[in-house]
Amino acid sequence: MNVNFNKRDPVYVQVIRHFKEQIATGVFEPGQEIPSRRELANRLKINPNTAQRAYKEMEEAGLITTERNLPSKITRDEHVLKSVRKELIMEAVDDFVRSVQSINVPVDEVLELVQEKYKDKRDDKGAKYD
Amino acid sequence: MIEVNEIQKKFGRKKVLKGVSFTAEKGEITCVIGINGVGKTTILNAIMNLTPLNGGQILVNGETINKHSYEKITFIPDAIIMQPSMTIAEAMEFMADFYDSWNQERATELLDFFKLQESEKINHLSKGNRAKVNLLLGLALDVDYLLMDEPFSGIDIFSREQIADVFTSHLVEDRGVLITTHEINDIEHLIDKAVLLDNGKVLKQFDSEEVRETEGKSIVDVMREVYQP
Amino acid sequence: MNRFVKLLNFELSRFMKIYLVLIALTIIVQVVGVIVTANSYMAEANKMIYEEGLSQAQFIQQYRSMSFLRFARSLWFMGPIAVCAAALLFYIFMIWYRDWFGKNTFIYRLLMLPTARINVYLAKAASIVLMVLGLVSVQLIILPLENSVLKWLVPIDFRSDMTVEQVVGWDYLSILIPQTFTEFILYYGAGFMAVSVLFTAILFERSFKWKGILLGIGFVAISGVIMLSPLLATVFMDHYYLYPLETLGLEVVLGLLVTAVSLWMGHYLLTKKITV
Repeated sequence: MNVNFNKRDPVYVQVIRHFKEQIATGVFEPGQEIPSRRELANRLKINPNTAQRAYKEMEEAGLITTERNLPSKITRDEHVLKSVRKELIMEAVDDFVRSVQSINVPVDEVLELVQEKYKDKRDDKGAKYD
Repeated sequence: MIEVNEIQKKFGRKKVLKGVSFTAEKGEITCVIGINGVGKTTILNAIMNLTPLNGGQILVNGETINKHSYEKITFIPDAIIMQPSMTIAEAMEFMADFYDSWNQERATELLDFFKLQESEKINHLSKGNRAKVNLLLGLALDVDYLLMDEPFSGIDIFSREQIADVFTSHLVEDRGVLITTHEINDIEHLIDKAVLLDNGKVLKQFDSEEVRETEGKSIVDVMREVYQP
Repeated sequence: MNRFVKLLNFELSRFMKIYLVLIALTIIVQVVGVIVTANSYMAEANKMIYEEGLSQAQFIQQYRSMSFLRFARSLWFMGPIAVCAAALLFYIFMIWYRDWFGKNTFIYRLLMLPTARINVYLAKAASIVLMVLGLVSVQLIILPLENSVLKWLVPIDFRSDMTVEQVVGWDYLSILIPQTFTEFILYYGAGFMAVSVLFTAILFERSFKWKGILLGIGFVAISGVIMLSPLLATVFMDHYYLYPLETLGLEVVLGLLVTAVSLWMGHYLLTKKITV
């Protein structure tokens, strides 16, 4: 786990975002145990209180669950998991649209280019394993 | 809680502290930042009653410091405070002899953590390793508060990383930590509270996450505003 | 109390190497000294008797017989004692200053020990007194040895023997090695007082730096005047009203007073004024 935090956003917000990404990409599976607050702070080199805050917020949002003294786990709640994925996609699309719109590109042209890029990337990836 | 109340200090005619006030809580890492000049170390010395004040008052858990306080609060200066002719083992023995709060188990763990050899003499150690022994001797006490003077300055990058690791580990646990520094870059994400000191006064005291959240500023941003208005 | 004993033990152990060297120096130089003094006396005797044709009686008349005092007055005997005295006097200062000087300022640790700071002071003072006592004991142990060596090297006809009691009763040795328990208490009590006055003067300097030097010197001077006041009284008044025993009693009271003030002042400086 190696995250580059920026210095201007609250660290706990960046930690939550990192977790959401891991969940969305499937690195964290539903029901998977996650590190303790202390461990997380140690691995990410952040203040333990900040790690604590991130976990508290994620618990409140239903991203992770903690039963009594057991280690916290990623939620199995399909609904929450889906919404995380959707939230991240929507955020990325919003950013993309905003920047594309700012240079006045028609949507058809954009979509065509996006498809091409996707294909290239997939080929690239495939090539590496040949 | 450590309460520093309007403390004043003069060296000769020079006023080094002109009414400094701030607090440091248990379970938090508070950092006194001063980009230049004296004052930071003097504050820590004054908290430990190692230098007299010309005014103001310091309370630790509501009491002025006394001989019993040294089992509850400890200070790790920037130079090692043991006889240099001692081996690490002898230094640990000395601490165990005098402090009821010495935690041998944690001391052994710290030796391991810092990869230090017990049999080595302190004056044969590198600067980085000396800093680690100094840290070890303080951290192995079961105290509520740890004061550290510039724990990251003047040592190699790997020692620095190791020492930073201590702050995020169970070795510091729920203690209150008060450190001084003139260089915040490496540790921005480590600290809870920052106290900006300049010219013998506290210019600003703030919670680092709060400033990021409400103002979208890094600690360095705030320092820039405060020190270079 | 417990931490005081630990501190005392620590203070003794950190000077132990040099201390053992001092003891070794004393033993070696003095024993070698006895041998050299005795041999050179005998060499002189042989020369006079066999080459110059003096009779034994004439030689003794001219050169006096060999006694232990001839050795005790020589540099061989007094040198090591002077060196030890100078070393300990120097160490009265160093026992404090070594904790401040150098990169590893141990005074931080000492002042942050969970014990009354006066214990640090008392441990240092006690270690000085104990080390003086130790050196004196060593001297007392090697005196009979040296006496025997002398007897062994010089034939009985050339000697005027002294017992160890006679030797220690002589001149300055009688101060180092008190004859009675009362003397012991008086001499070493006075020694402890002197150490405490010097310690407090040192702490004045450590607390107030330049100004502290003046305060320290002033403190030593006032203590000196107080101790000498019965004597000064005789100088300034023609009459002296006290019997010797009364003077002694007065000195004891004044000494206790000076010691108490020194300790109290040391305690005050260490807890309120000292700076690392």
